[in-house]
Amino acid sequence: MRNALLIAVREFLDNVQTRGFWFGILLVPLLWLMASQVPLILARKGTPTRHLALIDATAGERLFDVVLNQLKTAESRRELFHFREWVAPRLKSGQALPAVDKQPQAWSKLQEDLGPLMKVDAGRFAPPAPLNRLVALPSELEWRGNLSEFEGRLRDWMREERLFKPVGVDEEVPLFAVAILQDGPSSNAPPILRFWSANQADTQLQDRIVDALSRNFRSREYSRLGMDPSTIAQVEGSQAQLMSFNPRKAEGEEQVGMADLLRQWAPSAFVYLLWIAVFSISQMLLNSLIEERSNRILEVLLSSVTPLELMTGKLVGVAAVGAVMTLGWIGSLVLMTFWTLHTAGAAAMAADSIANRLPLELATLLLDSWLLPAFVLYFLLGYLFYAAVILALGSTCNNLKEAQNFTGVIALLMMVPLVSIAFIPKDPNGPVATVLSWIPPYTPFVMMNRVAANPPLREVIGTLVLLLLSDVAVLWGCARIFKTAVLRTGQPASLVQLARWVLGRD
Amino acid sequence: MSTALELRHVSKSFGRFHAVQDLSLSVPAGSVYGFLGPNGAGKTTTLRMILGMLSPDSGELSVLGSPSAMSVRNRVGYLPEEKGLYSKMTAASVIAYFATLKGLSSTRANQRARELLGRYGLGAFADKKVETLSKGMGQKVQVLASIAHDPELVLLDEPFSGLDPVNQEVLEDILVDLKARGCTILFSTHVMSHAERLCDRLIILGGGRGLFEGTVSEARSLLPIRITLETAEASPTLEILPGVHSMEAQSSNRWRLELEPGASASAVLEACFERSLRLRCFDVQDPDLHEVFVHLVGPSAREAALR
Repeated sequence: MRNALLIAVREFLDNVQTRGFWFGILLVPLLWLMASQVPLILARKGTPTRHLALIDATAGERLFDVVLNQLKTAESRRELFHFREWVAPRLKSGQALPAVDKQPQAWSKLQEDLGPLMKVDAGRFAPPAPLNRLVALPSELEWRGNLSEFEGRLRDWMREERLFKPVGVDEEVPLFAVAILQDGPSSNAPPILRFWSANQADTQLQDRIVDALSRNFRSREYSRLGMDPSTIAQVEGSQAQLMSFNPRKAEGEEQVGMADLLRQWAPSAFVYLLWIAVFSISQMLLNSLIEERSNRILEVLLSSVTPLELMTGKLVGVAAVGAVMTLGWIGSLVLMTFWTLHTAGAAAMAADSIANRLPLELATLLLDSWLLPAFVLYFLLGYLFYAAVILALGSTCNNLKEAQNFTGVIALLMMVPLVSIAFIPKDPNGPVATVLSWIPPYTPFVMMNRVAANPPLREVIGTLVLLLLSDVAVLWGCARIFKTAVLRTGQPASLVQLARWVLGRD
Repeated sequence: MSTALELRHVSKSFGRFHAVQDLSLSVPAGSVYGFLGPNGAGKTTTLRMILGMLSPDSGELSVLGSPSAMSVRNRVGYLPEEKGLYSKMTAASVIAYFATLKGLSSTRANQRARELLGRYGLGAFADKKVETLSKGMGQKVQVLASIAHDPELVLLDEPFSGLDPVNQEVLEDILVDLKARGCTILFSTHVMSHAERLCDRLIILGGGRGLFEGTVSEARSLLPIRITLETAEASPTLEILPGVHSMEAQSSNRWRLELEPGASASAVLEACFERSLRLRCFDVQDPDLHEVFVHLVGPSAREAALR
């Protein structure tokens, strides 16, 4: 056992002393951080102000103001969002931010109202640069009342990607878009928006204008038909209230909230982790075995240790590497959660926003549920299964190229649980999930994904026992292959030969 | 003298291929034993059976008094034919690692690693990664890794291959030191001069069988002594010289004689003087191990190479 331990320690140190290993550990939280923070950072400062020119070519009702008001309202909302982000950590302890009003309130007014609740050194909020700024057209694009003539000039001007200096702006800027408002084909038809922009990917601005025009047109039509637009707006704004209940929850607490949704989908994240962990450390194991085999180090090792000690040492060493890796990932997730909690401030937590409640819900879920213990259990059992197979197959190959023929097949088989991640939470106790749970190589991933759905106890125990037995059988068979194949040279073994080795007939 | 290693009628086959057939040998404790044979003679298979990595199909083994090398593995050192080390480990740590696998404590193993590296000229490279060492240095590190635990029996498979002459001398020094400590050494080689210089006893294998086992001089005695003889006068009578097996005339006064097994060159010289032959040259050529090796394994090795 001492030798197995020595091999495990070397295996562990050999892997954790590489830069690639720590890069791999850092990469996952880094991706998480990017996924959660980048959109926020982009929302704060990322997108530069876009300059828009608006031409109202309609004959009847002036639509210019309609669009202008819509853009102003959107900008106010955005400023308010940033203001709330800014103000949350600056509130005195015990103070909560009021809920968002449906009608946006100017942040300057809100800052005045909140004055007494804020810390003394809170300072003043600086609003972000506007997302869209309405500007007058450059002189050479002056609107002369002829649409086709104007659009001819506009097309050439925009194609050249020219810069200009709008009134009130200190620098030369490109023209992001020109919106031309045109009457519909008949007096009762809605207006037309002719939106010229080189950027067709971001449709937010054109959607916003179309929305403003449509609402204005509908309102006018309601009036024309003798209906009160405000009453209709009120009626259209009403929506049925959804109250979702889960009969499996404790009496009186059946209502489904965000925590329940999180509980339903969080296992999927753990399945991803499980999959990445099992897949990557199995690869580490294979690389290490192939290195020892191609360098003939195995021969020296086997003059000192038995094949079983060697196999055990390698399995344990690489399992420890996997444990550090996954602990690193989970630890960083927990740390990030608490960091978010800390930076958001206790005051912000009282506010009823999903973004603010998420870290707390996540922390509660991690600490109070079966997720972590299930992850550890299924990681170990899943790893043993795949690692034993990888070791056995790797022991028959002379180099990585030969081994990749086998690992390609294993990777294909491992794609099944990866694909199942998305649909199992929607029907966690359905027939597909149940059948997959009983296939030992898939049991760890599928059962991990079902853990929040309280699968029947007999299935939990049954699949676990089957997985355990499969692990024992696979380890036994693979140890026999390993023992026979590890010093062999020449062509990789055929499946028939592998079977003969398992049965001890060679 | 006690026996460190003994094989009695050992055979091993892989499918239809008979790698080792009815092999017997005995290695006295404290001796240097040569394991000679062409490629495919069964040397590596025999070494693996001695080490317990392969089980013989028949026959018996005794390694340091034990039927299995695995039970005495901490007293045995092994250097395989194809050399390789963990490239990312340092020279000292790789030696220490293999020594700990042989039962040394971590502290003692580290001490031994540095002591050996210093003694054999690699002290400055103790903390260098193996991947930065030259091939020769790496090979020396591996030799040191196989002896760091002070084994009683060392099995070295082609230890000299790939080493330059200077490093070959260093390796010979290592073997001499080991022998002086009382260690039994068994090494395989293709270089007969090493075997002649170092071995107390040797075995020559061919086609999985032991073709000869004994001392170097016993091996040499397998081939006849040759004498080149030149006289002042032309065509003297030489037929009556004692112990001459065959005679080849190279000119009217120069011959190449081949003696019968066991015949002595001095007896021939004495007979020449008795017959008052006026000798201008009397050159005795003892057969060397290379000739013995080629004589014993030549036909089968050539056959195997052509197959």
